[in-house]
Amino acid sequence: MNRNGFVLTAVAGAALFCAMPMAARADTAALAEEAKTYVTKAEAAVSDARAAIENGKSALVRIPEDSPLMEDVKQMLESAAENWAVAVESLKGASESAAKVGTASSEAIAKDYALLAKVNAGVAVSGSRVVQISLRYVEAVADNKTESLDIIRASMQDATAAASQVQFNYERVKTLIAEKYSK
Amino acid sequence: MKTKRYGIQGFAAGLAALLIAGTVVADVDQATAAGDLAEVSALAVEAKANLAAAALGGDVDAITEAGKRSDAVDAAVASAQEAYSAMERAIAGGDQDAASTASDDLKAAVQAARDAFNGVVPESIAKSAHDQWKESQTNTGGGPGRAGDAPNIYDVPWQSQGLRSFYQGLFGSFWSSSAFGGSRGFGERDATPE
Repeated sequence: MNRNGFVLTAVAGAALFCAMPMAARADTAALAEEAKTYVTKAEAAVSDARAAIENGKSALVRIPEDSPLMEDVKQMLESAAENWAVAVESLKGASESAAKVGTASSEAIAKDYALLAKVNAGVAVSGSRVVQISLRYVEAVADNKTESLDIIRASMQDATAAASQVQFNYERVKTLIAEKYSK
Repeated sequence: MKTKRYGIQGFAAGLAALLIAGTVVADVDQATAAGDLAEVSALAVEAKANLAAAALGGDVDAITEAGKRSDAVDAAVASAQEAYSAMERAIAGGDQDAASTASDDLKAAVQAARDAFNGVVPESIAKSAHDQWKESQTNTGGGPGRAGDAPNIYDVPWQSQGLRSFYQGLFGSFWSSSAFGGSRGFGERDATPE
């Protein structure tokens, strides 16, 4: 009886030990859903950037070749091209990670895939927004909206720096997750 | 006697299991924290994109609002980076409590960034730094920075607050090292040296 009491109390303690982290963990299905949300947001951002590129193409032909701002426009387009490549690649990465959430062998692995989907989607969104800012500059030059050029230029500088931070943190997340599994 | 011992042992075993569970729950996940840091930086980029869109639109009110939101998100990013660094230091030092506190600070900064992006801007940022400074001074000089700062002739009022403060600092250094500024500048010399 008393031995049973010991066993029962110990089992109750152990059950609580197992139950608390399980309660704290999110359900794999919910994680998969969350990862899908990140991917959807990134897809929308990439789609916006694609539309901005189309607008930018028509704006570019309106800029006179001897425009004093042509050098700035060229730099903006170079930056847009770099960030577009990053955005498209990251969207692909986010989709792949999100697809693996549902098929992960454990909840911990599912959580890590969801996190990778989140940061990859973040890189895709920030890359897309930098593309949009670059092409807004081109539009402003084409439409001769010189009063807005300084704001867009400053926004571009700040956005590029912040986008680098997003990429840096993505690398950091990847390294931390890799370290977890290499131990 | 034996009965009592088993009871106490059972209680102790259960308590130990609970304590271990508590420790696992309180553990700080550095990868998740880095993911949060990526999220706030991405919000900062989005806020800048909104500012650029407002600038292209040309609506002054929209530009002001987008600028405030962007400045507020930038402030939240700075807090988040500070909290992450504190967390890294705490983890390296093995201080679980400090790491947990820093993790909470990081979560608060992420929430502040989301709020700012959606238009909930703290009063300290909603009112521009220039306005705050102006209110606190009686001898208003009309520029950003401290009361004694030389008015920055290169100041561009529509630039972000961060850039303006940065340029004010540069101009201040230039001014104080020039013949006109600083404690040994012309302005501080006696009219009649003798």
